[in-house]
Amino acid sequence: MTASIRDTATGRATADATRLPRLLPAPGQPMELPAHLKVHGPTPYRGGPRLLIHTIESAGLTGRGGAAFPTHRKLTAVADQKGVPVVVGNGAEGEPASDKDKMLLWSSPHLVLDGLQLAAEAVGARRVHLYVHRHPELLQRLRSALAERATAGLDRIAVGVVTAPHRFLAGEESALSSRVEDGAALPRITPPRIFERGVHGAPTLVQNVETLAHMALISRYGPAWFRAVGTEQEPGTMLTTVRLANGSGGVSETAIGTPIAELLSLAEHPARAVLVGGYHGAWLTPEQAGHLTLSNADLRPFGAAVGAGVLVALPTDRCGIIESARVVRYLALESAGQCGPCLNGLPRIAATFSQLANRQFARPALDDLQRWSTLVERRGACHHPDGTVRFLRSALSVFSDEVELHAAGRCSAGNTAPFLPIPTATPSYEEDWS
Amino acid sequence: MITGTALWYASRATGVVSLVLFSLVAILGIMVNRQGRLPGLPRFAVTGLHRSLSLLTVAFLGIHITTAIADGYVHIPWISTIAPFTSGYERFWIGLGTVAVDLVGAVIVTSLLRDRLAPAVWRAVHWLSYLSYPVAVVHSLGASKDLRSGWLLAFTMGTVFAVFAAIGYRVNGALAAVPRPHRVSRQLVQADKTGSLR
Repeated sequence: MTASIRDTATGRATADATRLPRLLPAPGQPMELPAHLKVHGPTPYRGGPRLLIHTIESAGLTGRGGAAFPTHRKLTAVADQKGVPVVVGNGAEGEPASDKDKMLLWSSPHLVLDGLQLAAEAVGARRVHLYVHRHPELLQRLRSALAERATAGLDRIAVGVVTAPHRFLAGEESALSSRVEDGAALPRITPPRIFERGVHGAPTLVQNVETLAHMALISRYGPAWFRAVGTEQEPGTMLTTVRLANGSGGVSETAIGTPIAELLSLAEHPARAVLVGGYHGAWLTPEQAGHLTLSNADLRPFGAAVGAGVLVALPTDRCGIIESARVVRYLALESAGQCGPCLNGLPRIAATFSQLANRQFARPALDDLQRWSTLVERRGACHHPDGTVRFLRSALSVFSDEVELHAAGRCSAGNTAPFLPIPTATPSYEEDWS
Repeated sequence: MITGTALWYASRATGVVSLVLFSLVAILGIMVNRQGRLPGLPRFAVTGLHRSLSLLTVAFLGIHITTAIADGYVHIPWISTIAPFTSGYERFWIGLGTVAVDLVGAVIVTSLLRDRLAPAVWRAVHWLSYLSYPVAVVHSLGASKDLRSGWLLAFTMGTVFAVFAAIGYRVNGALAAVPRPHRVSRQLVQADKTGSLR
């Protein structure tokens, strides 16, 4: 339970700054509106546009959707545009290995919805949407939460719920913008960037739902409270989806800067490698993972990033090439098929990488993989080819010994059952994008 | 009346040439799309040729109209260049020519202003070409006896047939196109077959 007491002298809400978790209530006990109001109080509106932005800047909050972009800069950029902005809360995590947005929306919907209203106030928006996957139960829950808030008079702007298709790219900003316009959730060519011209041409603020929830807390408890955990450069907490080498795991809230070895219990459950940042992320060797913390400052030099907080420890009896080849195949099939490099390049790369995994492979194919990777990079409307190539390159480098084994017709795996979660359905209808 | 006869012949001749050029422009326009190619021509050359030939067509059309009016053999008032069915001579057939010219005019004006227009507006107006072309063909067949027999008839019909063939090719291509959701998986199946084993 997020610890909080109401200071009887000042009537201001205070909270124990170092107590975790901040966003998530006790497991299995979703925070309903009465409990939310009791713990956090009503939505702390500031009374005008831009007033919250400086507080967010002092807190040093960054986007928790994966890009870690400073939130105050995005707020300012949207508020500076001509025209009335639109705000969209992005809860459509397409990453199969991540569950944190679903978990947050399920257990603390009112923090997200508070944050959505505060973001709308900060940029002067008059339209607000919440963009989530088509999970009937979650949609039902969010709609009743919104109805309760309407009855309680908490929301100044009615929130429209927009459903996202179950696709990897559904949460990409331009795909989101197109979907909110009632179109297909397909990435578009930028510029114009979404903050300039997004939903129906209006400047559009897209914030991950976790970022919004942090905003709701920062506006109540202040920047100093937020900075009490985390690092100087990357303050606060983040939700992570962790999978240990023994297969256990789940969503938890972590202070940024926590050692990865601790999060994955690497001492108890040794790993062959650690995947950081999801399927557009990168593999680390156990040695690297062993001395790095969960922070971009630590991870960036190794070509990795915290992303949306996915951490997976690959068990020692699994083959990293087989696992990675499955992921690359999945990513290739998740291409929207719009841009030539992605449509033609990724299937080629995936097929060749599969042959490497299956040990039906000639050595020059390794050069092909490298060459094709360079050819698809930075040539898509979105970052799908770039993220896929980043994952592939890190696999080839971290599992270089395994590549040699496969080239010699062998494989070290004691267990070839899939470990990394991959959705089975492949797209077959145009409606799969809407 | 030598001058008059010269103008009359010039008008008839440029009319025929305009129609043939219009057919070529239409064919090139129909063939230009994302996937479409003409054998041996890069895509930009097809669009370039489409535009250049359009300009040439307008030039011939200008001479065709000016000479027809300037000619004193039959009386066609200047107003007939823009207002349909105002000509005393061959009111209906000349009127169709005016309709075609008005439609082409809208297409040209929007193309010249293309940078300043919403793509959808330009596109919608450009679709008028599909209306303008058959009207121009009917005008040609109705207003002039030149095209009603002999090799000129065969030639004109040939170009008209070519335009329809191009439309058929384009429609067929659109129908045979792989829907987007299948494109990637089809590519992957293909890549699995060929692979990079060498």
